Amino acid sequence: MNLGPPVPTRTIWRRAPWGLILVALLLAAVGIVNLASASRTADASLWISQLVWIGGAFAAVLLLLSVDYERLYQLAWPFWGLVVLLLVLVEVRGDVAMGAQRWLALGPIRLQPSELAKLAVILVLARIYEDDGERPQGYGLLDLWKPALVVGIPAGLTLVQPDLGTAVLIIAVAGTMVLVAKVRAGAVTVLGASGIAAGVLGWLFVLREYQKKRVLAFLDPEADILGSGYHANQSMIAVGSGRWAGKGWGQGTQTQLSFLPEQHTDFVFSVFAEEWGFRGAALLLATYAAICFMGLKIAAQARDRHGAFLAVGAVALIFWHTLVNIGMVTGLLPVVGVTLPFMSYGRSSGLTTVLAIGILANVGARRRTT
Amino acid sequence: MRLPGSGNVDHGLRRRILVYGVAVGLGLFVLLGRIWYLQIQRGEEFSAKSSGNFIKEIRVPADRGMILDRRGVRLVDNRPSWDVYVTPAFCGDCEEVLGRLAAYLALDAEERMRLDEQVRKARGLQRFQPILVRLDLDRDQLDVIEANRDSLPGVDVVSTPHRDYLYGTLAAHMIGYLGEANAEELERFRKAGLSVMLGDYVGKTGVERRFEAQLRGRDGIQRVVTDARGQRIPGLEGLIPRSERFVPSVPGHNVVLSIDARLQEAVEEIFDVPAGAVVVMEVNTGYVLAIASRPTFDPNRMTGRISREELRAISEDPLRPMLFRPVQSHYHPGSIYKVIASLAAFEHGFAGEVHCGGGYTLGRRRWRCHKESGHGWVSPEEALQVSCDTWYYAAADRIGIDALADMARRFGLGAPTGLDLGWEVPGIVPSVEYYEKNARGGYMRGYALNTVIGQGDNNVTPLQMAVVYSAIANGGTIYRPQVVRRIERPEGYVVQEFLPEVRGKLDVPKAHLDRVRKGLEMVVESPGGTAYAHRLPGRRTAGKTGTAQVVRIGTVRQKVEEMDFFTRDHAWFAAYGPADDPEVAVVVLNEHGGSGSRAAAPYAMKILERYYQIVEEDRAGPPTPERAEIPPRAAPRSAPRPAPVDEGAASG
Repeated sequence: MNLGPPVPTRTIWRRAPWGLILVALLLAAVGIVNLASASRTADASLWISQLVWIGGAFAAVLLLLSVDYERLYQLAWPFWGLVVLLLVLVEVRGDVAMGAQRWLALGPIRLQPSELAKLAVILVLARIYEDDGERPQGYGLLDLWKPALVVGIPAGLTLVQPDLGTAVLIIAVAGTMVLVAKVRAGAVTVLGASGIAAGVLGWLFVLREYQKKRVLAFLDPEADILGSGYHANQSMIAVGSGRWAGKGWGQGTQTQLSFLPEQHTDFVFSVFAEEWGFRGAALLLATYAAICFMGLKIAAQARDRHGAFLAVGAVALIFWHTLVNIGMVTGLLPVVGVTLPFMSYGRSSGLTTVLAIGILANVGARRRTT
Repeated sequence: MRLPGSGNVDHGLRRRILVYGVAVGLGLFVLLGRIWYLQIQRGEEFSAKSSGNFIKEIRVPADRGMILDRRGVRLVDNRPSWDVYVTPAFCGDCEEVLGRLAAYLALDAEERMRLDEQVRKARGLQRFQPILVRLDLDRDQLDVIEANRDSLPGVDVVSTPHRDYLYGTLAAHMIGYLGEANAEELERFRKAGLSVMLGDYVGKTGVERRFEAQLRGRDGIQRVVTDARGQRIPGLEGLIPRSERFVPSVPGHNVVLSIDARLQEAVEEIFDVPAGAVVVMEVNTGYVLAIASRPTFDPNRMTGRISREELRAISEDPLRPMLFRPVQSHYHPGSIYKVIASLAAFEHGFAGEVHCGGGYTLGRRRWRCHKESGHGWVSPEEALQVSCDTWYYAAADRIGIDALADMARRFGLGAPTGLDLGWEVPGIVPSVEYYEKNARGGYMRGYALNTVIGQGDNNVTPLQMAVVYSAIANGGTIYRPQVVRRIERPEGYVVQEFLPEVRGKLDVPKAHLDRVRKGLEMVVESPGGTAYAHRLPGRRTAGKTGTAQVVRIGTVRQKVEEMDFFTRDHAWFAAYGPADDPEVAVVVLNEHGGSGSRAAAPYAMKILERYYQIVEEDRAGPPTPERAEIPPRAAPRSAPRPAPVDEGAASG
């Protein structure tokens, strides 16, 4: 691949997709304001910690703009290997939180390796499809063994933690990238069919009791209002009662009177929708759409396939998180632990989100100009 | 290593990225639609659910109505009951706190053990559930607890309204008592549209039960904001519309009785016997002025303040203290039945003199008169005066049992009087048909002779006899006996008035009634009358003694004192006065008291005496607040209302 003469740092800064960065910063700011309301009852200082963390991550990412994303090509496999190692480690001696082994203490930093797994999969797949080049006839079923392994190992390790949400996310992001790389129609059909079969088998043999309960609760949330349907039900009440204009910042009764579970992490959108109403929620969705479209534009204009797939992966990461999270909060999807980018509190997920924006910015700053 | 030029983004890839962009747009659009559906389409519904989440409705219990006597003297009211609770979550070193409480309240070891156990067992959220330590602290205990507040963390004294029967046992059976509503009552009251909840106290007997709907009132609602744990959050009342924050309770109506507390008090005091009943009734209205049942109980204790042992003692007491004897128990009337027999005899033309030689022979059996030496020639009036059994044997043998039964039924015997305070026994009116159905061998002529002297299967309730003697006194009108005059709102507005209710007319010639009344007057006022010894000075009284045999006795009569209590005769006295212009009927039944003239008449006459005294008091002028009070405990907070203006109607 011909990189041509190195682009000067000043040009990089000028060409950086500032629109995207600003929208992302704006979204992060909205998230912090919302967090300040969501966490009033629990821990009022959460939003400050989120501000510092996200702010720091943004600064770091911007500082790294001058480093070509080409480095990620070399880093892909080692990073993937490290993540798999960490996932194994977390299985062996991780901390248990909310009934699952997800956390790994690395000195002062508590890490969720499963969050990093999403990034690792994006990096490796981007490298693979850079290497493969365009295949006009598309990939057949048997050609997919490599991505299947790359995705299957970390996704499987995540599933056994058990963290169904993140496992699904990893597969969704990877699947998006694979589809964009072009897969034959026949293969898609077979994959879809086996996906359904896997779902049935998974229900029978893999899913734990609480996960099944969540799925059942999703199918009929009002059946067990005080039990497993409680989250979905209370969150729908929060969203719905926001109506057109919302109850106002800090005025959401569902939020402030603690009817919402995990209101500053997975269910943070219901806080926002309750307090800002349909007006606010629609604007928020528009913002996510803007980020996704700008990200995909960067992908289309990328210097090379590596950049294009990195960008597609980053957009897929943000999109799927948004879709699954809001879908779950509004009762469209079962309750699985998936965070909302920029809005949910959490270091690992915050970092992943900002890194995705960083990748987009980096790829965008080096886009083709002709 | 990578091949140069292999990684160009070509047209196909760009197109697939565009397709993915469309998919992203679609996905987010679906979310938008879902949010629209929740917030706009179903927004109202979820708003209501959200309000339902944080609005907690606290019940504001309505004050139960008072029960007043005919002049407004408060008989039943409500008072605060100071109850102590301990909450395990807040008492820190609970054992120590309980130790102190035990000392202050003088808890016994058993109570202490029960509390320790309960506190120890409370886990999780249960620790926030207050545990009852003691109901109804007295003043001193309350003071001690209040003074030591600081050393009693987690201890709360809660005041709840509690029923207060100001005169204790006074008219206890008629007034009734409260108890926790059972499932059947909950169901019944809810169907009637009353707000009754589990654990609520409702009327179990008497007026408290009969007028539950009127006394109860309507509970109010206070709406407060609570968080998900049900903890009340002050300062957020703004979330609830002003008009919905508080719905005041509506106090229950007051029940104004026909009872005169002064007379009732006198009855309770005078009628000091192990078992029996007294009814004092206005002959021209059917209003009951006093009604007592012996033995009695304290409704203050029955209303949630009674131990299991005490309850068991009551239920095992052979004298059955809870039985409301004036209506819930029937007895042989003995000779007080003879007024009915006389009227039946007159109606069938048997109104002449009979020679009493100490008995009457029918077939091979001889029916004895109570006077073994005989009364000689006896007129119908004298037959009543001296209670000559022989005259009545002769009459009964002539007119037959069905003539007696017919007259008895016209007086309302054999059926409930309609007092309408819970169950009432109908009594038994024996007839040919009755014996054909119930006796081995069917009806025999001798049964009429047993019936005519108030024995055999002849059974009546004391209240029925009050109705009978009232009818004789008033010229033949059968009134429904009533204990309630009216229902009022707390401020005095009359909601419902219970006017005198005529249930029937005797339809006997005045001349017949006059002869009976003459005979009854002779019982008290003529020498030789069975109650002559107990006549009142200055007032003429008409009455009849009765001594009802409980068990068939042998040929030799025993003295009362020598018999076992439960085999002794019942002593009756039924009377009305004044004899020439009757106002009031008095019936006294002294269960197993012995002879009517010795064990019933004296009580009745003393009660009548007190009645006249009260009438005099009231005639002397409208009652002043001091006079309206009865000495022991009455403390009306407001001046009692003047005596009802229709008092005159009672004597007319």
